[in-house]
Amino acid sequence: MTTLEAYTKAFTDTFGITDEEAKNLKFQDIKAWDSVGHMGLIAAIEEAFDIMMETDDIVDLSSFDKGKEILKKYDVEID
Amino acid sequence: MIQITPQNIRMWSLLGSCGAFGAAAESVVQENSNIVMLTADLCSFAGLSRFSKMYPDNFFNVGIAEQNMVGVAGGMAKEGLIPFVTTYATFASMRALDQIKVNMGYMKLPVKLVGMTAGLSVGILGATHISIEDIAAIRSIPNICILSPADSLETVKCVEAAVQIAGPVYLRLSGSMNNPPVYKADYDFVAGKAITLKDGEDITIIATGTMVHNSLRAAKLLEEKGISAKVVNMHTLKPLDVDAVKSACSSKMIITVEEHSVIGGLGGAVAEVLAGIEKKPEHLIIGVSDSYKPAGEYKYLLEQYGLLPEQIAEKIEQNYKK
Repeated sequence: MTTLEAYTKAFTDTFGITDEEAKNLKFQDIKAWDSVGHMGLIAAIEEAFDIMMETDDIVDLSSFDKGKEILKKYDVEID
Repeated sequence: MIQITPQNIRMWSLLGSCGAFGAAAESVVQENSNIVMLTADLCSFAGLSRFSKMYPDNFFNVGIAEQNMVGVAGGMAKEGLIPFVTTYATFASMRALDQIKVNMGYMKLPVKLVGMTAGLSVGILGATHISIEDIAAIRSIPNICILSPADSLETVKCVEAAVQIAGPVYLRLSGSMNNPPVYKADYDFVAGKAITLKDGEDITIIATGTMVHNSLRAAKLLEEKGISAKVVNMHTLKPLDVDAVKSACSSKMIITVEEHSVIGGLGGAVAEVLAGIEKKPEHLIIGVSDSYKPAGEYKYLLEQYGLLPEQIAEKIEQNYKK
C-alpha cells in the first residue's frame, strides 16, 4: 500500500466515503467530519503512519490537502 | 457494544473525558432505548452534539436550570427511563444538591448525574466554575455510587457501568481534551473494585481521576530516588474498596492524591476507613488545599496546588520516613 492509499484509507474508513470524495474534502464538508469525526480521523492517520501528532497540527488539519502538508513534518511524504 | 481498539482509545484521549462520554452515550443508547441524555444548555460541551442529532427523541436540553433538570430526570427515572444528567460538576453537585439528596439519595431513583470538568480544568473561568467540593458534597448523601475515571477509556467503561448499576450514580469527569491515557488496552473494570496499576514495596499511592496518571509519573520519579511505590486507581469513591485500603496498611506510608479539596474527598474516605484500623501507617493527603486561588489555565492551577507529578513526588519524599 502506498502512503497515498494509506492516507486516503484513513479518510474513507473514518467517514464512510469513497476515494474520490476524500480527495477534495474539507472539515465540515460532510456531517461525519465534525469535531468528533476529526479526532477519529487523527487517530486513524496516527495509526496508519505510527506517529503522534502535536496539538497545533491536529487543529490545523482542516482538509485532505492540508493533512498531506502537515504530515511532511513527521517525515511522511504522501505520494 | 463499544469497540475498544487502540485507535478508539487514542480518539477518546484526544476528545477528553466529555468527548469520550458523548461517544459512549451513542453506544449505550443503541443497546437500550430507555437511556436519555439531559443537559443544561451544554450540548456540545458534554460531547452530545452527535447524540442530539442521531437520537433527538432521547435528548433533552432543559436550559440553564440544573435543579429543574435533576427533578425532571427523577421523574423520567420513576417512569422507567435511565436519565444521564450533564452539566459542569460544580453546578451539578452544588446548585442541585437538594434535588440530588431527595431524588437520588432518598428516593434512590436511578439518575446518572454527570459532573463535567470536575477539578480545575476550567480554572480560566474562575472559582465559580471549578469543582473541588463535589465529591465531599455528594459522598455525604446516602445511596449514591460515585465513579471517578482515570482517563478517557475508563470514562467509557464508567458510562457502561453506570447503565448497569440499578441505583443513582455520580460520574465525575476530570481532565481536559488530550487527556493523557492511563490505559492503552482493554481491561476489566468492576465498579467498587480498585485496580493496582503498579506494584511497590515501600509506600502505596491511592489516586483517583486525573491524578492517577500524575501519580504513576510521580512513582517513577520516586523509584529513581530509591522509594518503591505501589499505585492504586480508586475509580469508585463510593462504595470505597475497603479491602484495597486495608491492603495498603502493609506499606510504610499511604498517600492519597486527588484533584479535589483535601477535605471530604478520596483522602477523607480513606481516612474514615483507616480510623477503624488499629495498626496503620501514616496517611498523607495530597489534593487541592482548602482555598480558592485566582483564575488561571489548567496546568497553572495544578502547579499552584502542587498537583504536578514532580510536586507530588517531592511532597511524598519530604514526608516519607524510611
